Amino acid sequence: MNKTWNNRAWFMVLPVLVLVAFSAVIPLMTVVNYSVQDTFGNNVFFWAGTEWYEDVLASERFWNAMGRNLAFSAIILAIEIPLGIFIALNMPRSGWGVPVCLVLMALPLLIPWNVVGTIWQVFGRVDIGLLGHTMNAIGLDYNYVNDPFDAWITVIVMDVWHWTSLVVLLCYAGLVSIPDAYYQAAKIDGASRWAVFRYIQLPKMNRVLLIAILLRFMDSFMIYTEPFVVTGGGPGNTTTFLSIDLVKIAIGQFDLGPAAAMSIIYFLIILALSWVFYTVMTNVGAERER
Amino acid sequence: MTTTRRWQIPLVAVLTAYALGIWLLTAQLPIRDGEVDWTGSLFPGGWMAWSFPAALFFLTIFLLLALMAVWEYARPGGHPRVGMLGFETTRGDRLFVSLLGSAFIHLAWLGLVGPGLWWALALSVVYAVGVFRYV
Repeated sequence: MNKTWNNRAWFMVLPVLVLVAFSAVIPLMTVVNYSVQDTFGNNVFFWAGTEWYEDVLASERFWNAMGRNLAFSAIILAIEIPLGIFIALNMPRSGWGVPVCLVLMALPLLIPWNVVGTIWQVFGRVDIGLLGHTMNAIGLDYNYVNDPFDAWITVIVMDVWHWTSLVVLLCYAGLVSIPDAYYQAAKIDGASRWAVFRYIQLPKMNRVLLIAILLRFMDSFMIYTEPFVVTGGGPGNTTTFLSIDLVKIAIGQFDLGPAAAMSIIYFLIILALSWVFYTVMTNVGAERER
Repeated sequence: MTTTRRWQIPLVAVLTAYALGIWLLTAQLPIRDGEVDWTGSLFPGGWMAWSFPAALFFLTIFLLLALMAVWEYARPGGHPRVGMLGFETTRGDRLFVSLLGSAFIHLAWLGLVGPGLWWALALSVVYAVGVFRYV
C-alpha cells in the first residue's frame, strides 16, 4: 500500500475544534454541571446529585411534551417528504420556469422563524385573519386559540408551508443530477412512470432524502419559535413541545437544575434518533451500491 | 502500516495527564467543617458551576478519547468490521454506541430502579465490552 499515513494532518482541524468547543462543548458541559446542582441565583450552587433526572423521568409533563413532539415530527415528515418529492418531480427541468420555481420555492426559507409565526398568527385569527375569517364565513368552526385540534392543524400547516421547500430543493438537486442515459434506457425497456420513479429517481435521491429527513426531523424535534408565537403552547398545553416546556422551566420558573436535566435527556434522545436515522439510511445506500 | 510504533510512551503520557488532572481537582476540593466536601463547588462563584463528580466525569470522557487516539496510533485504520448489527463499524463508532448506550442505561436505571448508579455503571461496562467485542 502506497498510502502515506500522517497523523499530523489532524492539527488542521484544530480551528474547528476550538470553534466547536466554544459554541457547543463548553455550553454542554455547563448544562451537565447545572443538571446535578441547585441554585437560587448569584452563581451559588448546591449539590443535588441525580435528583433532577429522577424528577424529570417521573414527570408526566415531560412525557406528554415528548409525545406531542414525536407526534408532530412524525406528522410533518409524513407530509413534507412525499409532498416535497411530488413537487420536485413536477418542476420544470429547463426553460424560464426553472429560475421562477426555484425562487418561489426558496422564498419561505428566507423568512425568519418569528416572522413566519407572526404571519400565521395573524393569518389564522378569526377577527382579522384571512384564513380564520374565511373558514368561519364558509361555516367551518375554526379557532386555533380555543380548539386544540385547530391549533395543531395551524402549527402543522405552517411548518409544511415553511419547510416543504427545503425538501423540494434537495430532491430537485438530486433529480437534475441523474444522467439522461438512465431515462433513455428506461424508455427503450418500456418502463412505466412508476418504474422510472421507483428504480431510477428514488434510488438516485437516496442521499439527498437522507439529508432532508435528518434536517427536518432534528429541526421539528427542537421546534420552538413558530408554535410559541402562534399558540404560545396552548390552548392549555396542547401545543407545548419539549423546547417550549424547557424554556418555561428554565426562564419562566428559573429552575435551572430540572431544565438542565431535561435538556440532557432531550439531547440524548435527539443524538440517538439521529444516529439511527443516519446509520439506517447510509447503510441502505451502501448496500445498493454494492 | 505495521505495529512497530512505540504506543507505550503516549499511553503513559495520557495516563499521567489523567492522574495529574485528578490530583489538581482534588487539590481544589473545598473544606467544610474540617472535612473534604466532595460535592462542593470547585470554583465558588464560577458560572460553569464545576463540582468534583462532574469534572471527574468529563476528565474520564477525555481520557477515553485520548486512549482511542493512542489505540489509533498503535493500530491505524480504525479496525473496521461488520459485526452483529450487520453493518460496518470502526472503533470510534463502537465507542460512540457504548457511550450513548451507557447514558440510556443510567437513565433507565434512574427511572425504573432509583438512585445509586453503581450497578448501572457495572452494567454499562459489560455493555461496552459487548459492543467492542461483537458490534
